[in-house]
Amino acid sequence: MTTEELEKLLDEQPVSRLHRLARGRIHRHFRLGKRRLVEALLRCTPENRPGLESDLHALMQEPLPAPPVVAKERRPAGPLPTRPGSQRNAHPGHAEPTEPATDLASFLEGIGVPAPHPFVPDAWQEEAVAHLASGDVIVSVPTGSGKTYVALEATRRAIAADRTVIYTSPLKALSNTKFTEFSRLFGPDKVGILTGDRKDNAQAPLLIMTTEILRNLLYDAASGEIDVRLDTLGLVIMDESQYIADPERGVVWEETIIFCPAQAKLLLLSASIGNPQDVADWLTSIRPSPCHLIRHNRRTVPLRAGYLHPNGKLSPLFRSVSIPHGQGGALHPEAKRLFAQYEEETIRPRSH
Amino acid sequence: MPPSIHPVDLINALRSKHLTPAIVFLTSRRACDDAMQAFERSQVAIPPARQDAIAAVLTELVAQYPSIAEHPLQSVVQRVGVAAHHAGHLPSWKIAIEELMRQGCLDAVFATTTLAAGVDFPARTVVITQSSVRKSRDFTDLAISEVQQLAGRAGRRGKDLVGFAVLTPSPYIDLSVITKGLTGQPEAIDSQFVISYPMILNLLKAHPLDQIQAILAKSFAQFQLNSRAEILENKLDTLHVQMEPYGPRVCTDWIAQWQVFDHARKQKAHRIQVKRHESPELTARLQFLTPGRVVGVPKARGIVLRQYRSKGQKQPMVTLLRPGGAVTECPAGTVTQVFDKTFEVTEAPVYPWCTPGCLDELTHQANDLPVRMPALPILVQEEPEESQIVQTLNDEFPCPTCPSRPACQKDHAGALKLRQEVHRNQKMIQALHTGLWHRFQSRTEILQQLGYLTPTCQLTEIGEWARLIRIDHSLLITELIRAEAFSGIEPQVLAGIMSSIAHDDDRPGAFPRISPGLASLLGQVRHLAESLEPHEDPPLLRADIAAVSERWIGDPNLTWIGLCRLTTMAEGDIYRLLARTLEFLSQIHTLRGTHPGLADCASRAIKALRRGVLEELP
Ligand SMILES: Nc1ncnc2c1ncn2[C@@H]1O[C@H](COP(=O)(O)OP(=O)(O)O)[C@@H](O)[C@H]1O
Repeated sequence: MTTEELEKLLDEQPVSRLHRLARGRIHRHFRLGKRRLVEALLRCTPENRPGLESDLHALMQEPLPAPPVVAKERRPAGPLPTRPGSQRNAHPGHAEPTEPATDLASFLEGIGVPAPHPFVPDAWQEEAVAHLASGDVIVSVPTGSGKTYVALEATRRAIAADRTVIYTSPLKALSNTKFTEFSRLFGPDKVGILTGDRKDNAQAPLLIMTTEILRNLLYDAASGEIDVRLDTLGLVIMDESQYIADPERGVVWEETIIFCPAQAKLLLLSASIGNPQDVADWLTSIRPSPCHLIRHNRRTVPLRAGYLHPNGKLSPLFRSVSIPHGQGGALHPEAKRLFAQYEEETIRPRSH
Repeated sequence: MPPSIHPVDLINALRSKHLTPAIVFLTSRRACDDAMQAFERSQVAIPPARQDAIAAVLTELVAQYPSIAEHPLQSVVQRVGVAAHHAGHLPSWKIAIEELMRQGCLDAVFATTTLAAGVDFPARTVVITQSSVRKSRDFTDLAISEVQQLAGRAGRRGKDLVGFAVLTPSPYIDLSVITKGLTGQPEAIDSQFVISYPMILNLLKAHPLDQIQAILAKSFAQFQLNSRAEILENKLDTLHVQMEPYGPRVCTDWIAQWQVFDHARKQKAHRIQVKRHESPELTARLQFLTPGRVVGVPKARGIVLRQYRSKGQKQPMVTLLRPGGAVTECPAGTVTQVFDKTFEVTEAPVYPWCTPGCLDELTHQANDLPVRMPALPILVQEEPEESQIVQTLNDEFPCPTCPSRPACQKDHAGALKLRQEVHRNQKMIQALHTGLWHRFQSRTEILQQLGYLTPTCQLTEIGEWARLIRIDHSLLITELIRAEAFSGIEPQVLAGIMSSIAHDDDRPGAFPRISPGLASLLGQVRHLAESLEPHEDPPLLRADIAAVSERWIGDPNLTWIGLCRLTTMAEGDIYRLLARTLEFLSQIHTLRGTHPGLADCASRAIKALRRGVLEELP
């Protein structure tokens, strides 16, 4: 292939494919626009041309987006899914549902503040609190659903039963926020916080700390050097427990759970994860009582997705008002058109 | 940079559609600060009543966090009603922004995507401008769970009827990553269990060795390994059922017997064929024409990339990389010389038969081949006569005359494949069940060698105190203590060393000067870290970072602003550095029972460190 041919071929590729091609070839390729990306690819490769060409051909075999075409009569193919498995989405033009796409007015309809009404716990929140009476509970629900209520109510009950509660979070910053929040709710004398060098109100029934601090406490307790009264411990709440999958720190969550005293119940609060049942089964297999899993993916406040063009024009992102879960997502024709236009504009070098 | 929307226009567009308050996730702190500057330069101002509301919230917070009062961004935030929130800021300032957002005083916050997990406040709208995040040094596409983590901040319960995730393109966006993230199921999580030295010491402190395997078996790691093993065990059961028709025949282990026989037979056939088609010289040479070998062809030389025999060509072929980078195919017979020189080749299944990086490397090598290279003498073996081979086969194997031969011949390929699969599965199951335990054992051996554990896995006197150091680089720290590197040390020097061990960011910057005492001790630390490298990854041990802590702890009159002026680090980064140093120092402080002098020094360092903004939070 001559340089001209290669350049032409590269020019025809969507930016996302060029980025994939640039991986490991061009330093900080994410900083580059399409034109500069093509130039960089051409520049760095005289010796490694065969490799580049064969990679390019391999990538072109994947049912990736067709190059953005500006011709009016042809529908620009959206830069949609990149996985070979999702072939049906590669040509959304053929697979699109027949219903008309939503308009901007319906998309923006209903914005506002709900009328205030008295607090009534959701069924899943009650279910979670109730199950803590007999065993451990994992809550895996979308962000903003109200996991804090479960933590608060469970804490309230444990304290009423004269038990100690430990609340852990992965970040010191979150610990501080919760310390302020809980002190306001339970009264400052009921809440303590432990860090590496400080113990504020360590005799309080509700203690807040990072997971590492709790792990250390449990190790000390295991070797007989009890620091805090773990014998009265009734509940351990682990917020953001999806951190168990953190490459560096995840092991601390496992250690803490393994060494959590048998008489204390565990409440794991987690953002939505793919396999909460696995975690629940694991807990059931190692803990004295069965673990109850609460999971749902419904968002309490419905979510809509939009596309904002750099010129300030707003469009729905999908054809439907709400987000089409699990369907790959047919893009709104307007968003698709605008994005194709955006990609096209980034091909041309900027005039300085 | 290709166009992306101007921050002021972005917020105006959102405001006009009633989509504020919003959290705008940007690629970098720099982008957040630039957005704030754009607002600072603009004529934007929110109504006086709202400005007053912001001022009131901030004033209230100042009582608890005095550093907010001096924050340079205070007045801008008040005037424009938007703010930036990222790791470069002090925790107190971030708390202030979060509180303002919670009380609905701001229209927008510019935050970095990397910190989505630490952003504990919601908004009506989140704006997504990128589809990848920087992780260590590379950019990685956002996972579905990460996109949902970002989008999850949109729509406040009790305050919004709907929430919006708005994406706006920038050069960093791949639309498909975002749409997949919004519509997909979050990924399953996997255990990241590692066996650390402090874990071993603490386990062995509390439990006898014979209980450890059972404790490790309680990990989520082992749980997940077990479920993988279970899948394999089911497969194994199926395989055993499939193996049933292939039980013992005339020989008990007929599969192995036939395999050996078949092999011998094939070799014979091959030799005969070779004899027919190829010269013995070529046959002898063939085995040297492996990837990476330098060979000579008439008037040129090249590096072998692969050897193959295609359907079209009866003769064996080789793919050669020539000087200059050309990749050519030629019959193996044209190879005139085989040199005593080979290069590393990372083979690949498709053209150019090795990885791109490898091809680059080889092209350099091909261009720089020495003029003279020793050629390999190729020994040509005398071929035994055909009848002789047949004779041997008949002598050595019962198969040629066995009644079961037709059955064995027919079934062998299938049976052998099954059996190999059985063995492979058994090995994998075994590894899944015992992997963790083996890792524990090998790390335990290291602790024994270093004297933390007795040969019977009891804690030695050293192990007894060393188990209290439960942080990264624990081995380096305990070894330093054992080497008495810290005897008679000043608090600021101890803090400096701990900082350089704790800090794992290699972003360059300008920093204060380091004292000669700290510099020479750091040299010693570096030396020890290198010697421990086989057992523990060495920390960065940056002298400039050590100097920041040394100054803060050594000079009680140095103000926070003064410290910030000494370096180019963002104040949030300085804070985090000192906070981590504090953690390390408090671990040292736990050694007061065995190392009272050192613990006292750590305690003095902590006291000196905890002042000003570092006193604002527990
Ligand atoms: N049952 C409920 N009815 C109304 N509002 C609720 C309910 N449960 C929680 N909330 C509110 O929802 C918001 C988000 O709750 P939060 O616990 O912070 O979510 P999460 O921790 O799941 O991200 C809070 O403002 C809380 O007061």
